[in-house]
Amino acid sequence: MRANFIFSEVWIGLRRNLTMTIAVVVTVAVGMGLLGIGLMINSQVSSLTNVWMNKVELSVFLCGKNDAFPACKNKGAITADQKAKLKQTIESMPDVEKVDYEDQNRAYQNFKEGGNNNILLSVLKPEDLPESFRVKLKDPDKASAVEQSLKGQAGVSNIVNQRQILDTAFGFMEKLKYMALSIAILMVIAATLLIGNTVRLSAYNRRRETGIMRLVGASNVYIQLPFVMEGVIAGLIGGVFAAVLLIVTKVIIFDQIQMYMSAPLSWNTLAGVITLTMVVGVVICLLASFVTLRRYLRV
Amino acid sequence: MIHFDNVSKVYANQNRPALDHVSVDVDKGEFVFLVGPSGSGKSTFLRLVLKEERPNSGAIHVAGKDLAKLSNFKVPHLRRRIGCVFQDFRLLPKKNVYENVAFALEVIGKPRRFIRKVVPEVIELVGLEGKAHRMPEELSGGEQQRVAMARAFVNRPMILLADEPTGNIDPATSIGIMKVLDRINRTGTTVLMATHDAAIVDSMRKRVVELEDGKIVRDQSRGVYGQAY
Repeated sequence: MRANFIFSEVWIGLRRNLTMTIAVVVTVAVGMGLLGIGLMINSQVSSLTNVWMNKVELSVFLCGKNDAFPACKNKGAITADQKAKLKQTIESMPDVEKVDYEDQNRAYQNFKEGGNNNILLSVLKPEDLPESFRVKLKDPDKASAVEQSLKGQAGVSNIVNQRQILDTAFGFMEKLKYMALSIAILMVIAATLLIGNTVRLSAYNRRRETGIMRLVGASNVYIQLPFVMEGVIAGLIGGVFAAVLLIVTKVIIFDQIQMYMSAPLSWNTLAGVITLTMVVGVVICLLASFVTLRRYLRV
Repeated sequence: MIHFDNVSKVYANQNRPALDHVSVDVDKGEFVFLVGPSGSGKSTFLRLVLKEERPNSGAIHVAGKDLAKLSNFKVPHLRRRIGCVFQDFRLLPKKNVYENVAFALEVIGKPRRFIRKVVPEVIELVGLEGKAHRMPEELSGGEQQRVAMARAFVNRPMILLADEPTGNIDPATSIGIMKVLDRINRTGTTVLMATHDAAIVDSMRKRVVELEDGKIVRDQSRGVYGQAY
């Protein structure tokens, strides 16, 4: 096997079909890039799920003096008696791990620290904020059950289930992921067809050479390898562009939103994703070339 | 060397067979003309020898191999022992004489040193010494056919198939082509030549196999083209 012969043939083929080669490179790059982004979102979602689900709390807000919540209307603020009874009820539940009481001053402090709403902060006084019990659960999946049984207890104005907020956020990310993956699948189909077409053009352009090669007894590998290599090299170049795309995406998107999430996307994960997309890209090109050759290059 | 035993070939969508129960034996070192009108089955015969087509019935042995039992994987190795020359030369227009001949060896993976040694020898054998670096378009038809013969012979095949090699060449130049074929035949290579050219067949006085409508109507050693033409 003479490598320089094969490579000069490959080079000639790629140059002759320059526009098709560019089309293949672009489709593979975009397709594999989206596949990679889908995988990255996936790994983000699962690591975030682990981190956040353990921190899920129920916030049980208590009635204030002039609370507008229907549960508190015309009943006035929660009494010390009700408060103690409620705390006992919550603590006695089997799914509850810990209960923290947050008074108005601490609520104000927390609000200030989380503080991004300066105008609101300037008119807000600690008395305006509700007291609450922060309920930490043994099993985050039981959150809605606990929420249901606490709803309607005397002195409870409102219950916020963080699980629901997280589910909305994760649901959004899941949707993004599936969108990226389905576009990736479409791009993969387009790439396969384009590669098939490129190889077919190439085989037609070089029918004279391949005809002579067949006659003088060149082996099938020798005849087909230049065409297959053409597809694979176009796929590889596309894969490199996809890798660049993924690195850029990590740096400008994932690293930017990382401050809101406590599970940064590691370079290791990215390396895994890039390797996988590269392998998928090359394998697709390889298969597409082989299938086309079987049809258009009789040996 | 080439053995056809009751071979028939019918192409798809055609009623009339291209070859109809043909039996022929060609021995090693023979020079055989395959004659007959267009459509008589000459080209089909040559394609069957190369295993480019498969017979519908009958057995073909080439160079001691039963083609029916030869796997597709081994067909290239069969073709390395058979050289081919065509009416339309089939040279690569972007390669010069030397490169065209060397191509046949490159693509079967021969080492470069070997190629550098044998290609000039065979270019000389076909009478093109000094023209190794000409491009095909700079050569006459006869010279181009010599390049094609050099390419067919450079790997020292056991059999040389020639499909109307003088079809595009004037009679005077054809004599030169036939001399090269004769020279190749004298090295021990079996030559099988399909042709329409009565003058050449008559002058060479070699074995003649005549086909008509896919049947062998004449097989004559030291024959002529035939009175009918």
